[in-house]
This record gives sequence, structure tokens and C-alpha cells, in this order.
Amino acid sequence: MQLTTDIKSVRTASAEIIKYIRKEKKAISKDTLFDIKLCVEEAIRNAVVHGNENKADLPIEISFSIKGDKIKITICDSGKGFVFGDLPDPTDGKNLYKESGRGIYIMHRLMDKLEYNEKGNCVTMEKRLI
Amino acid sequence: MHIKTEDKNDVKICYINGEVDINTAPQIKKIFDKVIAEKKPKIVVNFKDVSYIDSSGLATLVEMLKNIRTYGGKLKLANLSSKIKSLFEITKLDKLFDISADEN
Repeated sequence: MQLTTDIKSVRTASAEIIKYIRKEKKAISKDTLFDIKLCVEEAIRNAVVHGNENKADLPIEISFSIKGDKIKITICDSGKGFVFGDLPDPTDGKNLYKESGRGIYIMHRLMDKLEYNEKGNCVTMEKRLI
Repeated sequence: MHIKTEDKNDVKICYINGEVDINTAPQIKKIFDKVIAEKKPKIVVNFKDVSYIDSSGLATLVEMLKNIRTYGGKLKLANLSSKIKSLFEITKLDKLFDISADEN
């Protein structure tokens, strides 16, 4: 699935993935769906704003699949990437009043697995569908 | 997303209905700015009908808290669902905000 660099893509992507999960898995908790929607939307938002820097001509690629009881989602932007380890901890006292910097931390906490490629422009997340 | 505001003595209560996210945050911020401009000593945001929040929504609330504190006002967040409350806990924002089960 390819998306345009537009903030509207945030909802398009999460709606498509939630629809796919509901079709494949009939029994799934509301909390799990909440977590997946939130993490996908945070990742797409980062791809639009930070990765592709709002440049409308740059694409965002998304792939997703369910294997067994897990969903795996990969989101790639066309940007220069970043170093995951360089991100400040948003829960550190001195960062608590900052208005940004929580998206990746939330993804890291809510997903079972979260990985960036070496370049830092592709994120892969996994979550058990329970 | 819709916000209804109500005055109860010195308290301004904001009832949000819908999702608090990157799409609605600019609209919410605009309404919060108007509310803050009244400089009420206490503002309550009622989350009873909020089904979803993302990091942009959390950022809007952090900004609101900072702006209220500049004039010595107080902010309370009430009626959060267990899921939304858990987001405040994992981000440790529960340490900044007065989070309560009800408006009182």
C-alpha cells in the first residue's frame, strides 16, 4: 500500500489496517485495536512530518500481514532517517513538559516488538492479536 | 469532535466528545486558548466521551497546562477511560496532571 505525504494519510492507513484485522480475526479486544491504531497513526505522522518533511511528492510505503496470532506492520518513508538511540527519554523529568517527542516512546511501549532499519526510515512493529 | 463548555461558579468545565488527535488538536487548541483567556482559577476537562487520544492530543494538553499555570490557574482532567489513563501513566504525564475520576 502506498500513501501520499499528507496528514490525511494517518487515518487512511489506520482505518485500512483495522479493517483488515477485523476481517481476519473476529475476536480481538478493543484495547489491542486501540494500541494498533495509535501506533500506526504515530508512525505515519512521523513519516509525513519528520521523514518526508511534508513534501507531497514523496511516497510512504506500508505493508502488513497476520501470521498466526501476530500482526506485523512495516512503514517506510523516503527521508534520510534518524538514529533511534539518539532520541531523548520523554519520561525523564526534564522532558515531561515538552510538547513533542512521545510518539516513538508510546509505540515502543504498546507494541510487542518495534524495530527501525539501520537508516532509520523504516519501522517494523509487531503485536499479538488478543 | 465537539467541545461544550460550561461555567460552574469559578470553574470552567470543557466536555470533549470524540477523538483528541492530530486531526482535531488544532480545533481543540483554538477552543482551549479562548477558555484560558478568561483566566478562570480552575478548568476541568471532562473526558467521559473521549474515545481516543494520540501524542498530538497529549501535547495539546501539556501546552494547555503550561498556559494555565502562567496565571496561577489549575487544570483537572476528569473521567478518563482506563485505556486513556494508561497512556498518561506510561508517558508519566500522570505526574504533571491532576487526574480525577469525576469533575468534583
